[in-house]
Amino acid sequence: MTVQVTPAPPPLRVGMIGAGGIAGAHLSAWLSIGAEISHFSTAGAQALAASHGGVAVDSFAELLDLVDVVDIVTPTPSHLGYVQAGAAAGKHVFCEKPLARTSTDARLAIEACRAAGVQLYPGHVVRYFSEYESMHREVAAGTIGTVAVQRFTRTGSRPDMDWFHDEEASGGVILDQMIHDLDFACWNAGPVGTVFARQAGTGTGKDGVVSAHVILQHHSGAITHAAGTWARPGTAFRTTFEIAGTGGILRHDSAEHKPLVIDGGAGHDGRAGTGLLPEVSGVGPFELELSEIARAFMGGDPPRVSAEDGLAAILVAEAAVTSLQIGQPVAVAPIGNVEVAA
Amino acid sequence: MRSPLKIAVLSFAHPHALSYVRALNGRRDIELVAADPDHGERPVGESGGTVLAAQLGVRYLETYEAVWEWGPDAVVICAENVRHLPLVEQAAAQGAHVLCEKPLATSVPDAEAMVSACESAGVNLMVAHPVRFSTAFKALKRAYDAGAVGEVRAVVGANNGKLPKGDRSWFVDPELAGGGSITDHTVHVADLLDSLFDGVAARSVYALSNTVLHGEVGVETGGLISIELDGGVVVTIDCSWSRPDSYPTWGGLTLQLTGDRGIADMDAFNTRVDGHSQTRGNGLWLSYGTDPDTAMIAEFLASIAAGRAPQPDGRSGLRTVRIVQAAYDSVRTGATVLL
Repeated sequence: MTVQVTPAPPPLRVGMIGAGGIAGAHLSAWLSIGAEISHFSTAGAQALAASHGGVAVDSFAELLDLVDVVDIVTPTPSHLGYVQAGAAAGKHVFCEKPLARTSTDARLAIEACRAAGVQLYPGHVVRYFSEYESMHREVAAGTIGTVAVQRFTRTGSRPDMDWFHDEEASGGVILDQMIHDLDFACWNAGPVGTVFARQAGTGTGKDGVVSAHVILQHHSGAITHAAGTWARPGTAFRTTFEIAGTGGILRHDSAEHKPLVIDGGAGHDGRAGTGLLPEVSGVGPFELELSEIARAFMGGDPPRVSAEDGLAAILVAEAAVTSLQIGQPVAVAPIGNVEVAA
Repeated sequence: MRSPLKIAVLSFAHPHALSYVRALNGRRDIELVAADPDHGERPVGESGGTVLAAQLGVRYLETYEAVWEWGPDAVVICAENVRHLPLVEQAAAQGAHVLCEKPLATSVPDAEAMVSACESAGVNLMVAHPVRFSTAFKALKRAYDAGAVGEVRAVVGANNGKLPKGDRSWFVDPELAGGGSITDHTVHVADLLDSLFDGVAARSVYALSNTVLHGEVGVETGGLISIELDGGVVVTIDCSWSRPDSYPTWGGLTLQLTGDRGIADMDAFNTRVDGHSQTRGNGLWLSYGTDPDTAMIAEFLASIAAGRAPQPDGRSGLRTVRIVQAAYDSVRTGATVLL
């Protein structure tokens, strides 16, 4: 008796660049979907390999020789250089959000990948979180009618790494953290016309607390409020949303919808913060995100988020930062000559 | 023993009049009358006048003149928003203390005239902002005053409700209400800030509104108000009438304070039993706890008895009106309004 065996496709060979906070989440997710991982970082690659797996290599050039695609998880200012280098080497590129430090850099990244004929996607992973995905599916299906008013909040401990505290490097809480909700607001309610922002904080550096509030006027007529907070160390990561439409409302609060709560009684320190990453209660968002993107890299359908979406979110964030500076609403710059994906 | 305080409820236009009458009827130290002379202007089917007074079990007078002849010590004004000013001025002229339904006024000059009339006459002017008297807010204020969240830098407030049209259609008539959801709902959250931060004034206001929800009415139904207070605290208020008509309760109010020592979340109406009814085909939402209206009225009466200013007073109400009017100015101009 002969058995017909379909050969398994060769594993996707992924080269990760960077070994910071998000690298562990990406690496675990890549490994869980069967990818073969090499990683390079100016610091911490060996430790990452020891704790999560994959093979650490000594140079970026060596990494490019080993892989089909690159996953860029470096600090924001270096995204563009690695995108351009990856594209020049003919690799598809997955890049952690924000796609680039500025909209100018994001356009250059998109143009470099287009010229090289490689795919480019930004890591707007909130689109893959089960609660957000479920909400968006119903919004898109018209379950709550036409979107009128959206509210999003995102709160977590202030990041540890020094570069986050340098607004010039990270773009601050709006570009680095709130951009998730700015992207999601646009996914639900469409492009944004004007942006107004305020920000307040106290203290400096890692002990500083900062909150940004942004209000969006969408072309559709919907209005959105997003609040992003880097709170004191030990603060639990928490997100909320409420979407109100002509036919109903959808809402979620990660502090209320927990599959398991353990009360350890006296002496149990239940106040341990979850830092930069939220607890995950649904299907693993990073696994879902990376498997969808891996399928696209291997010739499948495009994922739910495009490089142009990444640029659009940066344009909204940049308008918000300008609004902070001038104290007035700011029109979002047009996405311009970058061809928007169909 | 001193004679009971004579109190008149002026107009049943605002449905809160009903709960105020119930709260006042429960007290033995007062004598209560009500007048609702404009009830005939309401659309057919909207309650009012002698019939409603009889249902509430309160003595009814046909006209405001009859009320003044009766000689009230204090009045509770529940007329349509734009009709507050003349009633406050008449009450002040009669030497009667005033508890005025919120919003105090639909324009800053009106609110200033009310404050001025009552201060000149030496009568108390209190604004009916009952959430300040809720168990949740009192606990929040205690915690904040004790330093539980440290120095507050940012506040997110939401006061959302159904389109408040069911009982009284004037709520969506700009000629009588002065506006839509911005007028109706901004002041509740603004009043809580006024209490928490000791009457700090707003420095700048930016607002967006829309009419996506219930587009058939002639006023804004959605609104987001961004405020910077003196001292730099950043506030955003969602004042939208965004609860669906079939929602199991009228709406709600939440407030989040972000400080350098922690984050506080308050839900003013979170004391409730949840459920679901097959027969009603909807969620059940059974509120419990102390009634803030009763505590608010107790403060009004106590302030009169003690000869002191009530809280929130007319100047506090004026500050909330300034925010609302700045929000409308911002919506009209598309720019930030500096106060």
